[in-house]
Amino acid sequence: MKTTRYSRSLVVTLVVIAALYVVTHAEPPAAQPADRTRPGGDLTTDVQHAGAYGQSAPNLPTAKLLEFTAGNRVFTTNWVTAPASVKSFDGLGPLFNRVSCSACHLRDGRGQPPVSPEAEMESMLVRLSVPGEDAHGGPLGHPVYGGQLQDRAILGVPPEGRCSVSYSPRTVTLADGTAVELRVPTYTFVDLQYGPLGEDILYSPRVAPSVFGLGLLEAIPEAMILAHADPDDRDGDGISGRPNRVWHTEQQATVLGRFGWKANAADLREQAAGAANGDIGLTTTVNPQQNVGTGQTAAAEAYAQEGPELSEKFLDRLVFYTRTLAVPAARNTDDEQVLRGRNAFQAANCQACHVESYRTGHDPAVPQLANQTIFPYTDLLLHDMGEGLADGRPDFAATGREWRTPPLWGVGLQETVSGHTTFLHDGRARNLTEAILWHDGEAAASREAFAQMSAAERAALIAFLNSL
Amino acid sequence: MKRMIRRAACVALAVLSLGLGSAVAAGEAVDLKPFVANYASLVHASYADTEARARQLQTAVAAFLAAPSEGTLAQARSAWLDARVAYGQTECFRFYGGPIDGVDAAGVEGPETRLNAWPLNEAHIDYVAGDAAAGLVQKADLPLSRESLMANNMTHDEADVATGFHAVEFLLWGQDPGLDGAGQRPASDFAAGDAVRGRRRLYLQLTTAMIVDDLAAMTQAWSPDVADNYRAEFLGLDPAVATGHILSGLATLCGFEMAAERMATALDSGDPEDEQSCFSDNTHNDFIYNALGVRNVCVGSYGAQSGVGLLAVLQQADPALAGKLAAQLDATDRLVAGIPVPFDAVLASPEDSVERAKVQAVVEALMVQTDLLRDVGKALGVTVIVAAE
Repeated sequence: MKTTRYSRSLVVTLVVIAALYVVTHAEPPAAQPADRTRPGGDLTTDVQHAGAYGQSAPNLPTAKLLEFTAGNRVFTTNWVTAPASVKSFDGLGPLFNRVSCSACHLRDGRGQPPVSPEAEMESMLVRLSVPGEDAHGGPLGHPVYGGQLQDRAILGVPPEGRCSVSYSPRTVTLADGTAVELRVPTYTFVDLQYGPLGEDILYSPRVAPSVFGLGLLEAIPEAMILAHADPDDRDGDGISGRPNRVWHTEQQATVLGRFGWKANAADLREQAAGAANGDIGLTTTVNPQQNVGTGQTAAAEAYAQEGPELSEKFLDRLVFYTRTLAVPAARNTDDEQVLRGRNAFQAANCQACHVESYRTGHDPAVPQLANQTIFPYTDLLLHDMGEGLADGRPDFAATGREWRTPPLWGVGLQETVSGHTTFLHDGRARNLTEAILWHDGEAAASREAFAQMSAAERAALIAFLNSL
Repeated sequence: MKRMIRRAACVALAVLSLGLGSAVAAGEAVDLKPFVANYASLVHASYADTEARARQLQTAVAAFLAAPSEGTLAQARSAWLDARVAYGQTECFRFYGGPIDGVDAAGVEGPETRLNAWPLNEAHIDYVAGDAAAGLVQKADLPLSRESLMANNMTHDEADVATGFHAVEFLLWGQDPGLDGAGQRPASDFAAGDAVRGRRRLYLQLTTAMIVDDLAAMTQAWSPDVADNYRAEFLGLDPAVATGHILSGLATLCGFEMAAERMATALDSGDPEDEQSCFSDNTHNDFIYNALGVRNVCVGSYGAQSGVGLLAVLQQADPALAGKLAAQLDATDRLVAGIPVPFDAVLASPEDSVERAKVQAVVEALMVQTDLLRDVGKALGVTVIVAAE
């Protein structure tokens, strides 16, 4: 190789220019003290309006805004039946739940159950399986209906059917005599178009979770998550914390699960491709087959397309989008009631599962996610939540009584963004108080602590949650 | 914290001046107050003009509905286009929690999404090719009122837009079926006498009136003659914070809204009607007047209102950067003026077309401009936040 000799002055000049570049272009150092008011670290947004869950990370460089925005376009696109004039967004179905990601995750927020037994599910679906496991230890899909009930279909194809939700009241009386009415859901399958589901059907209704901050959860080092695991409750606190171990389609391996109500998806690419396939009926390089059961294949073949319907380019952008949505800043954190509520949260041992803080790893999928101190209030682990919440449907390592601790960041803005305050996997809780009172199993002691609180203490705890 | 940022910026400037020999008086803070005060007056003048033009649109719509004809429809369309000239110049007042899109003390969100939301699923409003019975106009069991329109605005789908400029645009033009001209809705759609047309007339009246009222509220929020309004709050902010807001609005409009949302994503999506004013084929003017709005703030003037602009304060802090920004504004404007018309024909053109290359060049210019505005923030010691949404 030819050696080039630079004059010393040129080298000095280059060094000076490089130093100047660093001085003038370096972002402020990320290493700030832990700040609960900035739950997403440098990926925190101060926006508090209805778009609060849909902001890009403020630390993205300008060029990356293009990728984020293109991802948002994919997220909000209403897919149409192929062939259509716009080839990039056709390939809907044949069976599907909704025609876009944002239909369920409206404004990147949480879905809710239908308002009446007659109403269709708008932002919620029902997973299906039969007893047993598939080749990779996952749920064994129904032989005809597959892994979820798809309640919509393209023209000329019958939708699978509909799941109707009705509620009956159950009253819980707190220590101070306050009566709180919970609603207990009953699910009924109606208009089934492909035969009966069978006596041994297992089903799990699930609302669409919010999608902001997910890149930060993906960037938590696995060891930090496993550090909170206590599968056999060796510390005897009544709380286990079990990691789910799920099949990774692309890696063809069993790995830690992080996303979904039962931590049943390993990472955001798997999650996005799975949702595109199951919920919208889109093939990808991850899932090249249409999501249809045997007996429905005729419909699938009639609408088969060459290559993935959701292109690799658009899948990448979609995943980038979900990775870089910012977390809303906490509000009113110095408020006296909020501070008392935080104490009550800790006194009730809520943080045993709703783990407050982590530091993300050095080398995440997107560099801006690195080394952030975050406050998601989750351990991403599975916990037995008792019989009342049990769906009886195992999902990889998760039993029919276990659910993954959902993050609490941003919950106080849910009403602003999503226009409702329903919580839990099937949206049965109409507010945070009901959600807390549904906690059972490993969380029974925390629920009992809440039930023993004075009205003022309970209000403070709710105020704390609403500050997040 | 803020003071620390300012000091850090001064150090950076000092180093810069040593290295590049530019004339910066280190440690001497630039007085941002006159710039902030003039900005508030400029914003007020912009909204007042927009409100006045929206009232002219309302008058033209009333004349059209009184005597529907192709002639009166053309006048209403012309008034809509005229209102867009002024509205486009106000869009750089978004993105920092101001009255247009922030949440006020009572928790009420500004009217931006009600005024200007897109993409718009037109079948949510009225009939479309392939569905003659579509839309709220034809949903006979829904009483039409401002309240019912808001209850059906973006509730199940972000594209289910019921109100605002683009709803009115769709009502005045109808769908744009091809690449040879805008939508061709007949004036007879608004003839009095039958139930559906009656609802369409009411729908147009309601949505036009809502635009006027929302813009009037913006004029009031920035008026010097109203006590305790947003203008008063804004002028009470630390001038560095207010300047950060101003720059965040400019940079976000350039980098996110124009470059990413309306151009790059549209080029990328493969959908020819992925354009903001798709019914009227007016998208190119949206770009032109958005860019002019940015220039207004940099120069410090709107109509008769004139004072200290961004370039003038920047000239004191960093003359070289001021020169670069001025040159970039010129370059961007030249490229924006060259965006081929109509924009849907650009989107429909092949991957390697000259038309697409022209728009791609605008995207790149706007990104350079965004980064320059970030640099301006550093030079002035203020925080600039650029985020997509």
